[in-house]
Amino acid sequence: MIHVEGVTVVYSDGTRALSGVDLQVDRGEFAFLVGASGSGKSTLLHLVYRELVPTEGRVIIAGQDVASLPRERVPYLRRNVGVIFQDFRLLSERNVWENVAFALEVVGASRREKYRKVPLALELVGLSEKEQSFPHQLSGGEQQRVSIARALVNNPAILVADEPTGNLDPDISWEIMQLLTNIADRGTTVVCATHDRVIVDGMRRRVVSLVGGTIVRDARGGGGYDEP
Amino acid sequence: MNLSMVEFLLQQAWQSIRRNGLMSLATSSNMTVALLILSAFLLATINLEHMADVEARKANITVDLAEGADAGEVEATLLGDMRVEETRYRTRDQALREQAEAVGMSYEQLNATLPENPLPDSIVVKPVDPQDMAAIAQAAEKIEGVAEVRYQEQITGKLLILARGIRIAGVISGVVMGAATLLIVSTTIRLTIYARRREIRIMQLVGATNWFIRLPFILEGAFHGVVGGAVSMVLVLASYSWAHGYVSEHLGFIELIYSARFAVLFALGAISCGTFFGVLGSILGLHSYLRNV
Repeated sequence: MIHVEGVTVVYSDGTRALSGVDLQVDRGEFAFLVGASGSGKSTLLHLVYRELVPTEGRVIIAGQDVASLPRERVPYLRRNVGVIFQDFRLLSERNVWENVAFALEVVGASRREKYRKVPLALELVGLSEKEQSFPHQLSGGEQQRVSIARALVNNPAILVADEPTGNLDPDISWEIMQLLTNIADRGTTVVCATHDRVIVDGMRRRVVSLVGGTIVRDARGGGGYDEP
Repeated sequence: MNLSMVEFLLQQAWQSIRRNGLMSLATSSNMTVALLILSAFLLATINLEHMADVEARKANITVDLAEGADAGEVEATLLGDMRVEETRYRTRDQALREQAEAVGMSYEQLNATLPENPLPDSIVVKPVDPQDMAAIAQAAEKIEGVAEVRYQEQITGKLLILARGIRIAGVISGVVMGAATLLIVSTTIRLTIYARRREIRIMQLVGATNWFIRLPFILEGAFHGVVGGAVSMVLVLASYSWAHGYVSEHLGFIELIYSARFAVLFALGAISCGTFFGVLGSILGLHSYLRNV
């Protein structure tokens, strides 16, 4: 589903963010990306939703080479890649239902499609009861659930999570991670960049460690933050 | 594009117009003022040209023939001049009839007051371009058999010069006002984009196409154009209608263009011109701020 081959990314200021990275993440697989700040985790995620193109090498997402993808096709790739962030990025003047529906509205979904898909996404993240609430009325964990529902409402094949628990308490973080693994178990490929050692150690899922833009360890069978 | 998409786009555009209420008002007002000024110049130019045209239709030169001159030969020479459109031979008798008519008397009355007809036979010359009257007259004086050349000093030329001056001023102010309007619309759109940057970012992330992101801003620009066009149209047509009433009552010799067709054309012109400026302004705003969108 995600195929990264010999990828190097050099920013315009000369910073080398990734060097010769190879990574393969299959359909329905869950993988943690771990590493210190500046190790290249976010750069690798940016390649997946085509915020960046590699300086060298190939990135193939759901069968499409992102570098050769014409600019006007990028939105269609992104409909296949849901993204969530540490800061949730919800629209404060829209309620939960409208925030999730927004992702459908901007890709031109019909009214009927919205009324069918939004409740399903909210049910998946366990927020059906709060669909009329506004973001400021929700806890951090609930806000992240809304952003997950928004990322999933278009049924993407891939979900990219950039430090999704960075702003959350340990208990809530654990719930969010459980939700993400459930999503992977339903067939969505999930790649999650995190600093959260406790979570990674507790989940025993695949762990890809980055140091200075290079993959130094890939515990495919499941591992801890530091240990295979 | 389905119905809910159209609804969404319109809703987005309307929301940002409302959220930037004061800025939207300023933009539409500026558009109105710009179109008002352009309309004033346009109406002045059109009417002056119309008046010049009416005058030009009346313009002619009278070439009086000397006693015993060969009228056919003089007429042929006159017609040889490219600047002459047509000529008409007029006997002294006809000339007196026309004179009587011009002063509002009957031919018999006029004839009775005169010991004899003082008018000679003549040729009436109609120029292609009324501006050439003096030159044609000068040339005609040199033709053998011509006694005298007379023509009424025409205001046509002056009207045309005035119309040209106003048109130049109109074009200059059009360019200046147009540029200012574009600048203001594009600034408004940039501010809107800035205010909605979070939303735009999310739209990009969830896979909205570039045109889908741009369209609400273009609609917003078009809105300012349509509002500006409509308001200026109402103001201009109302004051023009008043001016027409005043002129026909007090200055009967001036004839302003005034018809339903003219009003409709003018209204359509004002609104489409406003829309054009609005859309162009927002495209400029989008171009400089949303290069990557």
